[in-house]
Amino acid sequence: MQRLLYLLLLLFAITSCQPAMEFEAADAVFRTGDDPRWAAPDYDDTGWQTERGTTGSQVFWVRHHVRLPQWDSTVTLGVLVRSFGGFEVYWDGTRIGSNGWPASGAQAEVPGTESSCYMVPAALATPGPHVVALRTTQVHLGHEQRFSQVKLYSYQGLLREPLIISGLMNLMAGALLIAAIYYLFLFVSSSQKEYGILIFSIICLLCFALLLAEYVRYYVDIPYPHFYTRLEVIGLLTFAIALLVPLYFAIQFSLPRKAWLGSGLFVLLSSIYVLNYPHYDNTAILLSQAMWVTSVGIVLLAAYRRAKGSVLVLSGLLSSAVSYYFLYFDYSLYITFTIIVLCMLYLHAIRVRVMENEHRAAQLLSARLQLELLKKNIQPHFIRNTLTSMLDWVEESPTQGAVFIHALAKEFDLLNNMAEATLVPVGQELELCQHHLQVMQFRKEIRYELEYTGIDPAELIPPAIFHTILENGITHSLPPPDGRICFRLSVERAAHSQTYRLLTCAHNRPLDHRPRIGNGTGFEYIRARLRESYGSGWEFSSEAVPEGWLTCITIAQAA
Amino acid sequence: MKILIVEDEARIARRIERMARDYFGPQLSYLATADSLEQALHLLETKAPDLLLLDLNLNGQDGFDLLQSVVAGAFHTIVISAYTDKAITAFAHGVLDFVPKPFAEERLTQAFARLTTTVRKPEHELKFLAVRKQGHLVLIDVQHLRYIKGAGIYTELHLQNGKKVLHDKSLEKLEQLLPPSFARIHKSYIVSIAQAEKIIVQEGSSYQLQLHNGELLPIGRARYKELRSKLL
Repeated sequence: MQRLLYLLLLLFAITSCQPAMEFEAADAVFRTGDDPRWAAPDYDDTGWQTERGTTGSQVFWVRHHVRLPQWDSTVTLGVLVRSFGGFEVYWDGTRIGSNGWPASGAQAEVPGTESSCYMVPAALATPGPHVVALRTTQVHLGHEQRFSQVKLYSYQGLLREPLIISGLMNLMAGALLIAAIYYLFLFVSSSQKEYGILIFSIICLLCFALLLAEYVRYYVDIPYPHFYTRLEVIGLLTFAIALLVPLYFAIQFSLPRKAWLGSGLFVLLSSIYVLNYPHYDNTAILLSQAMWVTSVGIVLLAAYRRAKGSVLVLSGLLSSAVSYYFLYFDYSLYITFTIIVLCMLYLHAIRVRVMENEHRAAQLLSARLQLELLKKNIQPHFIRNTLTSMLDWVEESPTQGAVFIHALAKEFDLLNNMAEATLVPVGQELELCQHHLQVMQFRKEIRYELEYTGIDPAELIPPAIFHTILENGITHSLPPPDGRICFRLSVERAAHSQTYRLLTCAHNRPLDHRPRIGNGTGFEYIRARLRESYGSGWEFSSEAVPEGWLTCITIAQAA
Repeated sequence: MKILIVEDEARIARRIERMARDYFGPQLSYLATADSLEQALHLLETKAPDLLLLDLNLNGQDGFDLLQSVVAGAFHTIVISAYTDKAITAFAHGVLDFVPKPFAEERLTQAFARLTTTVRKPEHELKFLAVRKQGHLVLIDVQHLRYIKGAGIYTELHLQNGKKVLHDKSLEKLEQLLPPSFARIHKSYIVSIAQAEKIIVQEGSSYQLQLHNGELLPIGRARYKELRSKLL
């Protein structure tokens, strides 16, 4: 925000460096025909027309009466001429240069540029009245009654001013181009296609193109017949920017009905464009005003919804209105664009921070799940119950007790190995399940069996998922009369997904709604693990079926 | 002696059963095992035991609700659980003992022995008496008790607010649970010592205890000396 302030101050300072020299200039007068005497300062041009009229390929003269109040004779005087056509320029009857070449006889006109400047010989740069006369033709754009204007200033100043302005604007353009390329790369390389980023990149590129189009006239000679082509390009670029900027804010602040907003804005901008055609500058002003108003509206709505960063963006937009109020439109337009781009960058910074936070939260979740996994089997009640059974086995049958102890040790080992992994081979998971079932068999004195079909042991799944389902199955199944509970694991593969089905073949315990302790968080653990590894590309269901209890996990394969 | 074991792990249930049989021997007239809450509640209603041996976590179900309802019963409860952090709560609600898992035979025997002695453990004091009242359970803070009067197999809890509540446990069973701030003054009375005003000696050397509210309670001859030492 502080940098923005400095930039504004700098631009104010530059605009205050406008030529301070006072000179008087009367409106230009025109006359069709060709007479070398018409260049003379004392020629009486009363009765000349104030409009060019239709001249076709005929030569016509333009006379400008100017008064130079005082002049430092050590400084070279320059004349800036803004006029359409191919012409020669005379200062008090002396030819000081030409812009293109007027048509004459068999020779066709060489069109000049819209704006050109000339050096006035030192001897002729005296205070007092002077006449700048143009011997000109305007073969192209014959219907265009373009004004003819002259401006007196130091010749060096006239050459330097465009350099300073275009230098500054090139700085801005460079920054925009880099932003455009950077965000394009960001969009292309990111796995999540965020269209906000793409739009931002396009806006930066359009603003870059707009600056180029606006200031290209300082380093490329554009013959006057093509003068309006540039303005049309500027108009179209402004149109596109005016459409995309509000849309960008709407996307970035996640406002609803973006399509409606986009089409409404398109209709509004199109009507502005069509109704004002071909008043190019006016169109550009109205288009950018429409953009500004819509953006402010959107950001106000966002601020009302307490969207992050909206207040800052709003103040940025309002400050651009201040620059618009104080500065010449051409400058304020680019300042407005710059401020808007800065606001957008700020929004991006916020976005990146949010993403960083999400990433950190994901890491935290992983850490929490690791803990959860370890806790599963070192919970005091699990250990104490296991130890109680073990004590009994050791007292009753030491050999069996030893088998029991080995099974438990193996289960702990496996869990420990898995603890830090987010995905483990199915084979390892099944081994863990077998050892757990062996432990539980010693404790519950029920025969647990795990059967599986179609499993690829190398496939990866989050750790202790099946283990958790088995735990639930053991807890929620009634001990059967034959003392045997069977778990059947199968896998079903589809084109883009695979489904693991784990069926517990047993009678379910009647459901009850008392608060649960211990294994109550099992499903949450499974869901959290699936989310951690597959984002939203998974489904989980668990329900009673006639054979017992069926748990299904569908995992979408990454495209 | 009738015993009900509530334990969801077959191996542990068998261990408890074996130890109970060893301890009570021929005294044991009945022993049943339940592995779920529903089964346990059913057995409690149909075959009222003298002693309940209770695991607090039954297939993931929290035994705390159960605990409140069982301690309201006429029988004694010994909790055998892996949730050692629940011991204080269990004592506060009136279990006779809390045996943490894993347990050896000595520890369980010690718990069984508490059935027949009146030695109290002051570090885990009973704080509430759970009472069944019109179908639901009410917890009564023992500090609100004035005195307890035996009424056959039941007891009447006389509260300081003048209200009277029936409890399923016998006076003997309550005496085993109540903290030392209560004294048995008569075969039919336990009184909160904080409520005692003075001992009145009547003709024929019969004694009465006057409470702060003026109520007079009989003092058993055999218990007079012990009470006097407590009051002084």
